[in-house]
This record gives sequence, C-alpha cells and structure tokens, in this order.
Amino acid sequence: RGGGMKGGSKVIVEPHRHEGVFIAKGKEDALCTKNMVPGESVYNEKRVSVQNEDGTKVEYRVWNPFRSKLAAAVLGGVDDIWIKPGARVLYLGAASGTTVSHVSDLVGPTGVVYAVEFSHRSGRDLVNMAKKRTNVIPIIEDARHPAKYRMLVGMVDVIFSDVAQPDQARILALNASYFLKAGGHFVISIKANCIDSTVPAEAVFAQEVKKLQSEQFKPMEQVTLEPFERDHACVVGAYRVAKKQKTTA
Amino acid sequence: MALYVLYESPSGYSLFHAHGIDEIGQNNEAVRNSVTDLNRFGKVVKLVGFSPFDSALDALNQCNSVSEGHMTDELRNFLELTLPKIKEGKKPKYSLGVAEPKIGSHIFEETKIPCQSNDFISELLRGVRQHFDKLISSLKSGDLEKAQLGLGHSYSRAKVKFNVNRVDNMVI
Repeated sequence: RGGGMKGGSKVIVEPHRHEGVFIAKGKEDALCTKNMVPGESVYNEKRVSVQNEDGTKVEYRVWNPFRSKLAAAVLGGVDDIWIKPGARVLYLGAASGTTVSHVSDLVGPTGVVYAVEFSHRSGRDLVNMAKKRTNVIPIIEDARHPAKYRMLVGMVDVIFSDVAQPDQARILALNASYFLKAGGHFVISIKANCIDSTVPAEAVFAQEVKKLQSEQFKPMEQVTLEPFERDHACVVGAYRVAKKQKTTA
Repeated sequence: MALYVLYESPSGYSLFHAHGIDEIGQNNEAVRNSVTDLNRFGKVVKLVGFSPFDSALDALNQCNSVSEGHMTDELRNFLELTLPKIKEGKKPKYSLGVAEPKIGSHIFEETKIPCQSNDFISELLRGVRQHFDKLISSLKSGDLEKAQLGLGHSYSRAKVKFNVNRVDNMVI
C-alpha cells in the first residue's frame, strides 16, 4: 500500500458531487475513484482501502490533479463532467492511459471507454493498461482521421479531448460527426500555448469557443485549470442540441 | 434511383436499403430528426444483407483494409451477391453510400458499382451506428462491445508490436 494514507481506518471516503468520484478524507483530502481492479495501481498512484459495515472492502485510487486535467477540472469546480457510471466515452489523446484508467473507474463495468492515442510509445502502455480493464478499448490511430477507426467505435455519450493540437476544435468536430450522439456532450482541455503563443491565453480560449460554436457545439461552461496547469482551460458543452419549438404567440 | 448504404461493423459487413429518401433528402435538419428516433429510422432504412466475419483474424484483416480504404475480396463478394445485378452495357439503377470517398473509388474501380459519400450519407450512417444492435436481430446486446474490444486490442497491438525500442514511428 502507499505511504501517505497509512492506517486506512482513519480515512473516510465520501462520494463527491459528481457521480463516480469520491473524496478520501484523511490528514489531507484527496480526490479518488473506485478501483475497477482492486489490488493494482496503474502508475504507482496511492490506493485507499475502506472497510464497509458488513466487512467487505472497497478500494479507491487517488486521482492526482497535477497529472490529470480532468481531475483538475473537477477540483476547479466544473458543474458537470457528464462522465458517469454507465456512460460511453470517446477519449481523444489518451497518452499512457493514466487519466483513462480513472475514467474507466468512473464509468464502471456498464460503461465503455474508447481510448484513442497516436503515439506508439505511450500507446504501448495504454494497450497494457487496457488488458486489465475490460471496459477500455485501446485504439492506436490518428484522431485526425476518425474514418480509419470507424469500425471500432460505437455511438458515444461524451467525447473527452486532450490532444493539444492547433486544430483541436476541428478534430473534435470531426469525431463528433461520426460518433457523438445528438444531445451528447463534450469536454475539451485547451492549452493556450499549443494553439497560439503570441496572444494572451484568455483570447485563445475565446477564439476556440467561437470555433466550437461554428461546429454545432454549444459551449456551456469554462473553468481554468489553475493552479494545477498554467494557461489551461477546460470547456464543457453539448452537441447538436435540439432547437426549441417556437411557441406560436 | 435506389440508395444502398454500406456499414462496416466490428462483427461483419452490412448493407441497408434507404427508401423514403426523396421526401427527407431535401433538408438536413429533417434527416437528423428522423435519424435519432428508432421508430422513424426503422422505416427509412431496411437491412438487406449482413455478412459476419469468419474469425477474429478475418475481422482484423477486414478492419485493416477498411482503415486503409481498400476493398477486400470478402467485401467484393458480399456487395456483388447482395446488390442487384448490373446488366451488361446498362447504367445501374442504384448507388451505394459509403463512409469515406477512398473506399468508394476503390469499389467503383473494381466493380463499377457507383458510390457516393456526402453529408447525407454520413447522417444515415450515424443513425445506423446508433441503432445497429436493434437493426440486426441476430446480435444480442453486449455482443457488439465484445467485438469492438477484441478487434480494438488486436488492431492496436499490431501497431505497437514491431517497436521494441519504444520509439515513435510517425507515418504520415
């Protein structure tokens, strides 16, 4: 077991406002998710084991906001991440799968995570992680060309995008046109430097939100990822929202 | 003119006949509405053929070809058997909607089946993707995810397999 949370009896785990996320209250509070594969860490993160009243044990994995932008967004106070138990999620820019493993915990055995990563180096770790988590479908392919993996992905409820590319709004739109159901949601992490390092971060965020609006997205909220990431923002919204019927006056 | 749509699923190729297209083909908003609702969508498209893959290995081969925009022999057989025959020297009375122009042009070169891919076809395919497990009666719920899981692993493993040094191979 990990060092910091020693003597598990002192730690109490409470559900977070977001379904599937928990807070471990020990010496310090920590965000965590319920481990799908008890007894195993994915990237040497700490684990917390809690005994229920009936003697059964539940294990949680600590979710580090400095390593995961989704965790940073949750701590940043985002209203809804839409990723919850049973959800079907398309994850673009999965990297080695550290955050993906927490998303896999979040959606649980009834959900699915399609994890897309182009780099072979991190893709190898992603594939190995997915071997133990049967709700993760690893896809080593370029997120710019969703047609290449159209056979592997079904219709999804949420797209999470962390690709850090100048054309990331277009990449998100392209994937949404294939896989995101009407009325589904998106969560996109924007690193200002990756898009345009010559203008202030706020201007970049505003410009990206505009791009999203022109692609049938309806951005609903934006949170900064400070103090965990510098000049990052996370934008959450809906896709192809049904137009309200005009009431005849 | 009749319209058929090809949908490549992780468990096999399927072909749908889209009818009632004239009235809804005009307006994209109307297409979207009829795509979301299964009751209405079920009336717009009808399954005409489904050809399951023989094995996991076969599925991987098909998936690699589809990804590269190639028509395999299996796909050719399936199309030629399922679509109406083209009479010698006559223009075919139908067209085939495909997800991506590359595979469309390959199909046309080899078989002379006229293919098209556009926004309207994409909308139809979104609908097929959403309702696929209900459109194919032989599939149980969960079967599709299992097929995706197996295929996703074998497809991805093949990509990282030959790289012992953990170095990125950027193929552009």
